[in-house]
Amino acid sequence: MSRHGSLRTYVLTRLALAIPTVLILLTMVFLLMRVAPGNPIQAALGGHVSQEEIERRSAAAGYDKPIIDQYVEYLGDVFTGNLGTTLTDHRTVVSIVVENGSATLELTIAAILVALVVGLSIGILAGRFRDTPIDLAGRLFGIVVYAAPVFFVGFLLQLLFGSTLHWLPTSGRVGPVTEFELDTTTHLYLIDSLISGNWSAFWDTVTHLILPAVTLGLLVSGVLIRLVRVNLMQTMRGDYVEAARARGIRERRVVMEHAFRNALIPVVTVAGLQFAILLGGAILTEQTFNWPGIGSELVRYLNERDYIAVQGIITVFALAVVVVSLLIDLVNAFIDPRVRY
Amino acid sequence: MSLVRRLGTAAALAAALAVAAVGCGGGGEEGGTIIRGTTDQPVSYDPAGAYDLPSYDVIYNVYQNLLTIPPGDNKPVPEAAESCDFTNPTTYECTMKDGLKFSDGDDLTAEDVKFSFDRNVEIADPNGASSLLANMKSVDAPDDKTVVFHLKKPDATWPFVLTVASFAIVDSTDFPKDKLQPSDEVIGSGRYTVASYKPGQQTVLEKNTSYTGSDPAENDRAIVQYYDKPSALKLDVENGEVDIAYRSLSPTDIESLRDADGVSVVEGNGTEIRYLVFNLKLQEGTSDAQKLAIRQAVAQTVDRAAIAKNVYDGTVDPLYSMVPQGLQFATKAFADKYGESPDVNAAKKTLADAGVKTPVPLEIWWTPSHYGPASGDEYAEIKTQLDDSGLFTVTLKSTEWTQYSEAAFTNKYPQYQLGWFPDYPDANDYTAPFYAKDSFLNISYDNPEMNRLLEQEAATSNESKRAALFKKIQDIGAEDVPTVPIWQGKQVAAVRDGVNGVEDTFDPSFIFRYWLITKD
Amino acid sequence: MPHMPKFAGVRRLGARVQEARGAPRWILYVGIGIVVFFVVLAIFAPLIAPYGFDQVSSDGTRFPKQAAPSGSHLFGTTVQSTDVLSRVIWGARTSIEVVLLAVVFSIAIGVPLGLVSGYVGGKLDRGLVLVMDALFAFPYLLLAIVVAFLLSDKLQNFFLSDLFGAGIVTAAVAITVVYIPQYFRVVRNHVISVREEPYVEAARALGAKRRTIIGRYIFYNVIQNVPALATLNAADAILTLAALGFLGYGIQPTEAAEWGYDISRAIDDVGAGIWWTGVFPGMAIVLLVTGFTLVGEGLNDVLNPLIRYRRIRKPKIPAEQEAS
Repeated sequence: MSRHGSLRTYVLTRLALAIPTVLILLTMVFLLMRVAPGNPIQAALGGHVSQEEIERRSAAAGYDKPIIDQYVEYLGDVFTGNLGTTLTDHRTVVSIVVENGSATLELTIAAILVALVVGLSIGILAGRFRDTPIDLAGRLFGIVVYAAPVFFVGFLLQLLFGSTLHWLPTSGRVGPVTEFELDTTTHLYLIDSLISGNWSAFWDTVTHLILPAVTLGLLVSGVLIRLVRVNLMQTMRGDYVEAARARGIRERRVVMEHAFRNALIPVVTVAGLQFAILLGGAILTEQTFNWPGIGSELVRYLNERDYIAVQGIITVFALAVVVVSLLIDLVNAFIDPRVRY
Repeated sequence: MSLVRRLGTAAALAAALAVAAVGCGGGGEEGGTIIRGTTDQPVSYDPAGAYDLPSYDVIYNVYQNLLTIPPGDNKPVPEAAESCDFTNPTTYECTMKDGLKFSDGDDLTAEDVKFSFDRNVEIADPNGASSLLANMKSVDAPDDKTVVFHLKKPDATWPFVLTVASFAIVDSTDFPKDKLQPSDEVIGSGRYTVASYKPGQQTVLEKNTSYTGSDPAENDRAIVQYYDKPSALKLDVENGEVDIAYRSLSPTDIESLRDADGVSVVEGNGTEIRYLVFNLKLQEGTSDAQKLAIRQAVAQTVDRAAIAKNVYDGTVDPLYSMVPQGLQFATKAFADKYGESPDVNAAKKTLADAGVKTPVPLEIWWTPSHYGPASGDEYAEIKTQLDDSGLFTVTLKSTEWTQYSEAAFTNKYPQYQLGWFPDYPDANDYTAPFYAKDSFLNISYDNPEMNRLLEQEAATSNESKRAALFKKIQDIGAEDVPTVPIWQGKQVAAVRDGVNGVEDTFDPSFIFRYWLITKD
Repeated sequence: MPHMPKFAGVRRLGARVQEARGAPRWILYVGIGIVVFFVVLAIFAPLIAPYGFDQVSSDGTRFPKQAAPSGSHLFGTTVQSTDVLSRVIWGARTSIEVVLLAVVFSIAIGVPLGLVSGYVGGKLDRGLVLVMDALFAFPYLLLAIVVAFLLSDKLQNFFLSDLFGAGIVTAAVAITVVYIPQYFRVVRNHVISVREEPYVEAARALGAKRRTIIGRYIFYNVIQNVPALATLNAADAILTLAALGFLGYGIQPTEAAEWGYDISRAIDDVGAGIWWTGVFPGMAIVLLVTGFTLVGEGLNDVLNPLIRYRRIRKPKIPAEQEAS
């Protein structure tokens, strides 16, 4: 079969497989939310009005329609892009995804940058100088940084920079006044402040971004270090690297130009898996730093039993993970012919 | 350039940016803008869709009611109305003021008032307070300046009901009559307009230049900033990012702020209460007499002062009646009957007289976050007090709020923690909900004399009669002890130096009046 | 049929550890040491911890509230006047219990499923793979949160709850659900590659029952992957447990001490400069997770043929004979 033929087959097969995966995920989300105890009215008004009144309002709001009806409605809504309006504060889920999702996006992009800088540099050093103290230190750093829960690292950074040194802000995305004055077109504040030439807003955003991005980035860098190191070591034993060495090329160039690129291939795959870790880590980081992202909104709506909101947000999360892993697989298939079916 | 060198340069650049940025941080302080931080999030700025304090916060500043509670007071006075009175026990009539306008220029007439009440009942939003209008048969607007309420039963508390934010007057030409208006598009006749609303982040109120009422706003703008964690709010008020931190800082944060530079802690009387509830059906005790003895013994053993000091660092006051101090007709019935300090010997005697074997096993439930994170500490303290007396052995159990609130009122918990927030600052709101036969507490408490007294106090607006009735009601409450009042919260705010007026708005109504606040 | 010595897989593992030289062995030993330390803390908590996990007084005197570390309270006290050191030790018990339950559950369900699915193949395999991939794609923390949410009510009467406490079982189940797909995947993939091996084919040709083939030949081969994965599983279990506790969905504070919950309360103390309520539980988490990870890394280094070092035996050269 020609190279392009098998690639096309692979793409089509992967897409076809993605659909049942998505359906299963959506069903899981739906079931999980329906089975959870309590409803939003109970959460909001329990202890303030009588149980009968609560039940009356719940019935009036249609919370006890048959499950099958709700399920069909849910699927239909998702596929038409209508993720619903929250029950507790009347926002459309789409607006939550756009406004809070962009906050999370900004945070995760910044975190990925931190992770790449830290992870790649330490991973390469560790792999290059394997079994020396440098290697050991690098590996230990990677392990400890992954072992430290994101909220603990956040706690330490807040303690140091916020409470003791007072250097950096420890909560929110920007200060209240900046929030009010900034024109948000993309909802990515770094870009918006550059577009509108608002320099104080830009600095405000950067200072607020530093601690959360470092916290989350360090977590992911831990995994990256291990990965880059192992792949580099394996690659450096490869034949073509031996050949390069035999030709007398300096070790440094051997590492950076020959081994490094090939070591990156599995990294791309794992990067996709990290996405799931990032989302989980984002929830915790956002809670710790009061970052108004989609993770902290999820926790809030979960506590309020706003199942429309929770359902909508989890749906978006799950779909995002599927899309990202699909893309990664496709990129991988394009680069590495061995992967295709 | 090699990859390593490229990475190194990028890192250096990032570090330089960071260092530069640190120098330019800090919050903004514009002339006439007050920034208040809070951890409570609102539900809706349409009065028909709100029954929670954070929404009320903004509604009181953006709309007018027929009647309102003035600062520092606890009785309703006319606001949008010129005068209001009962023409007969079930008819309440109000005459509107002249020249009232909404912020978009529309006239405010009796028609808007009728519209506001009718839509409240029609929409009956699950998050709204339409159940408070249960006693309203109908409302009429015979002419532009007159509003008439027809009630089903005589109700002395009706003027208070009219002060509740859920019944603010909305613009009939802008608001739909069968669904809620989006929170960022609301129009009221109050001292501010909603300039912007970003859910979960901030609400911005701008001074309403077409306001026609009394006491216009003394500042140009108020920003309400929302926080997830109280500790983040505390840090931000310390470094000047917000001017006022109000609701809800933990006792630890408040203690620490008392010593902080540039910030002072402001306190006022509050009407939020916490109490322990007994389910008379499920509690320990083989007879009614024994059950009563157990309840009374608990009331005699609990050390409220210790709780206020150890757990809350003095940000709450011991409470000796379900009706908190600061409200008209409040007494100290529990102190009168059992004394202000615990009396373990008396409790021992009470139990012995009824033949109750000690120690009495008590299963007490509480909930971790709805009533503040200090709830755990509070009930740990109560457990210690009861256990140490030798008369009880307490097992503590907890569940998260939504499960808790359903289980508590469906006969699953024998003893449990509860809190109460007033709908309006009248003693009726602190007695009828708990002591009446059909109380939402659903604890099988039914005292015919109590029921009779509650009906009587609601039916008369004669103050001295009501005073006598409420004294009896609170005394019976202390005698029967279906609930044990524990503390009443002070309203506490951390305020930056130079910001004035916050103490002035602390009163039993819980209305946070942004218009009274100024900044030097 | 060739006779396989008992526990051949495990023996092979042991041999590899013996052969390894250099860093991997030390990493393994340090990791094991840390884990054993915490297991000891967990088992002997009542004897080692100075006080109970929710004890607020001793001999009639109340503990001070939020007191800094001192002679009487080595790690200080919390806002509830409980002793931090005791809570850290009791927290070890909670963590080890949850890890034990979670790993046992996950292996007990994931490994057999992977074995059967990989060997039998066909529709069953495809169906299971689809479900497992979907579970795998679900952000793990979300899954754990939602499962913990759902089960917290239902598990009050579960038999294990009396032994361990409902909150612990809930957390363990939540983590199990997240990890079953991992074991399934690894085992299934290995089974697929092994089942085409000549010796397996030979066994099949000779008429061996399916059960024998899976049980004798494939199982021991595949089982080598499990220990390394189990240590990772344990490490993640502790992090997930702490995350659930931090968010408030985990173990209720009246049931047991839990490090994540303690840190969530400690965040309120950060503003006042009180560091000891959060730093010590946090360090405990870091240490224990590092311990498990080191064991996993060590095992990996020892077992991964591409990067392990083997002890090089010097060649024995017979003594030269003197030329006469």
